Amino acid sequence: MKGLLQIHDPLAPKGHVVGIDLGTTNSLVASVVQGKPVCLAADEDESRLLPSVVHYGKDGGVVVGARAVSLLSEHPTDTIKSVKRFMGKSLADAETRKLGAYQFASGEGVVRFQVAGGQPVTPIEVSGEILRALKRRAESHFMGKVERAVITVPAYFDDAQRQATKDAGRLAGLEVLRLLNEPTAAALAYGLDKGSQGLFAVYDLGGGTFDISILELTDGVFQVKSTGGDSALGGDDFDRAIAEAVLKERGLTSPSPQQIATLLQAAKAVKEALTDEQVAPLVFEEQTTSVSRAQLDAWIAPLLQKTGLACRRALKDAGVKAEDLNGVVLVGGSTRVPRVRSYVQELFGKPPLADIDPDQVVALGAAVQADLLTNEARQDEVLLLDVIPLSLGLETMGGVVEKVIPRNSAIPAAVAQVFTTFQDGQNAMDVHVVQGERELVEDCRSLARFRLSGIPALPAGVGRVEVRFEVDADGILKVSATEQTTGVKQAITVKPTHGLTDEEIEQMLLDSIDHGEEDIQKRQLREQQVEAQRMVIDARKQLKENGDLLGAAERAALLADVDALEALAKTESDHLKLKAALVALDEKAKPFVELIMNRSIARAVGGKSIEDVARG
Amino acid sequence: MTDHFQRLGLKAHVDLDVAALEARHRELALVHHPDRQTPGDAKARLRAAEETASLNEALKTLKDPVRRGVYLLKLHGVDLEKDEAGGSGKLPQGFLAEILDLREALEDARAAKDLEKVQTLARQIHERQAGTLESARAALRRLPAADAIAAATPLLAQLKYFTRFLEEVDAIEEEALG
Repeated sequence: MKGLLQIHDPLAPKGHVVGIDLGTTNSLVASVVQGKPVCLAADEDESRLLPSVVHYGKDGGVVVGARAVSLLSEHPTDTIKSVKRFMGKSLADAETRKLGAYQFASGEGVVRFQVAGGQPVTPIEVSGEILRALKRRAESHFMGKVERAVITVPAYFDDAQRQATKDAGRLAGLEVLRLLNEPTAAALAYGLDKGSQGLFAVYDLGGGTFDISILELTDGVFQVKSTGGDSALGGDDFDRAIAEAVLKERGLTSPSPQQIATLLQAAKAVKEALTDEQVAPLVFEEQTTSVSRAQLDAWIAPLLQKTGLACRRALKDAGVKAEDLNGVVLVGGSTRVPRVRSYVQELFGKPPLADIDPDQVVALGAAVQADLLTNEARQDEVLLLDVIPLSLGLETMGGVVEKVIPRNSAIPAAVAQVFTTFQDGQNAMDVHVVQGERELVEDCRSLARFRLSGIPALPAGVGRVEVRFEVDADGILKVSATEQTTGVKQAITVKPTHGLTDEEIEQMLLDSIDHGEEDIQKRQLREQQVEAQRMVIDARKQLKENGDLLGAAERAALLADVDALEALAKTESDHLKLKAALVALDEKAKPFVELIMNRSIARAVGGKSIEDVARG
Repeated sequence: MTDHFQRLGLKAHVDLDVAALEARHRELALVHHPDRQTPGDAKARLRAAEETASLNEALKTLKDPVRRGVYLLKLHGVDLEKDEAGGSGKLPQGFLAEILDLREALEDARAAKDLEKVQTLARQIHERQAGTLESARAALRRLPAADAIAAATPLLAQLKYFTRFLEEVDAIEEEALG
């Protein structure tokens, strides 16, 4: 409905605001019209879904959407689909090496597609074209300017991917009011529509990403309890699994980019046909292969299991059980696959909700959030409380990670932790900020490093440095360190230039499972090494200050033992052996420690020996 | 400085209605969240972010009975967090050795992928945790009596070790899920 009335809508003095679902396969634009969110179509007869496909012509012209899809098999390298998978990626990322028909320009940094008609294009520019097409669509609908938008991203998108999405919005001439997590958007669409209360899981399987979120809706507050997922798993992988099976069956070992593009399209078609049929034909190069639903189910089984793992983890992090859930919401076109639905039902023990079109639900939720953020009359209706997806921590002695803000903590968040100095007279402390779930720094993502200098000379353990982490509502981290006796302070805002790649997040999560055991051993060894180092420093200090209490031979023997322990700490890889050496030295040093204690007590009580005090 | 109880408008007490606590947190979040401030007012947003972060921290601290107990002690001058070794100086004799043995048993079970053993150990700790927590709560109810502080301190120091142990169990179980 286009009308002059909407142009003069008094509630939209700065132009209309929209919600955009920038999807891997399809994108949509929605807006709240007369109090209800609706997805916008360019024309009455056009679909609301805009295929996320961009074609670059030899003449430099750019075509977006359905027309670009029709050019895909003829110009596979000049037509970019699933660009979302490449957001925030470099050429080195595994994502760019998956089966696909693209040609990449060589070079460092962000990945670039070699296309017809000029310079290579980045994923940000390609996404910008899609956003521009959606903006035009909304503008023609409203017959007025559209300059502000809420754009959705997978909850698991890292900073680099979020930044890339924001940049794409800017390229398209949009002010990005908020990047909204997709599952949260879906819940928002359901929640407001039904006025529901309770605990919900949102299972979002799109073209290229999988997200699971557990949310609680109470008294106008949407609280994200936990979130998880896999930022490189989706319907594209289903297509690829089908295509790979067909290639194998036909003995095609090195298909051309054109063959791959054609086959992937045929695979997608057969997957969609199998939603309603038990058996469907896959036609490729004038040859027909019959594919059954059972075959498809078997090919995608390992992919579904990966989603199941993420779901169980999310439930656990939220501290709830599947039976506590009031509903499971399905989002994303890939949840149309029957096996996905039955799998979700098995996983959560209840039939999932799908009354809102799973393709539209995210865009509708984004429109609702855009309206909530800009429409003052609605400001008190609902509030979103989100969480951080990955733990934030600090490097401590021995390269061990101390988690400061664990994953799934509510944001905004601020946490301070106090660390003590390790050595006498230590005048600086290095602060190394990391992100990830593993126990050792080398296995986590390094976010930032800085040095707090100017700590006054104090004995080991006396200097106290408070490190403070602050995460704002947009998920940006700021870290500061303050020496508490003098107030010396250093601060840094953490804005990673590259951020974590999907592959890294995925790898990190997998690693934390695979290497849990190895981690514990490494950690125990590091702890013993640190302990040994402490003891060595302490013993040398005491020998220097109180060595006169011992005879020369005893002193030399103890010093030799200390040296031996120091050497052992560097070479021993069994933490139990190192621990045994520590205990042995501790035992040996006991008489010396007693002498020192006597001396200090004697000093404290004014020159009398301990026996004197006891007698007195 | 406003403490967590004051921030949420609650009486500083060991017994707390968690549902009421969460409701109070939601009410206050609705007022103080950055998204509730006038768009474009950067200063108000910053203040709001600080306030909401404090509210989130208060909720996290008070919701969990062990954290709540440790926090109550802190308000009465005993800071178990500040203690370098996590309050180990306040532990009863022999406790540390015992918990080290239990953790070693847990590590062995993990290495042997003996999930049943892991769960047996977890149950054992759960039971002790429940008993110790009950005693700690009984002591904390008598606050601010000096002997209440003296009684609660070693109990809460132990509870922190139980929590840590059960976190380890969680990690092992997560490993097993994969």
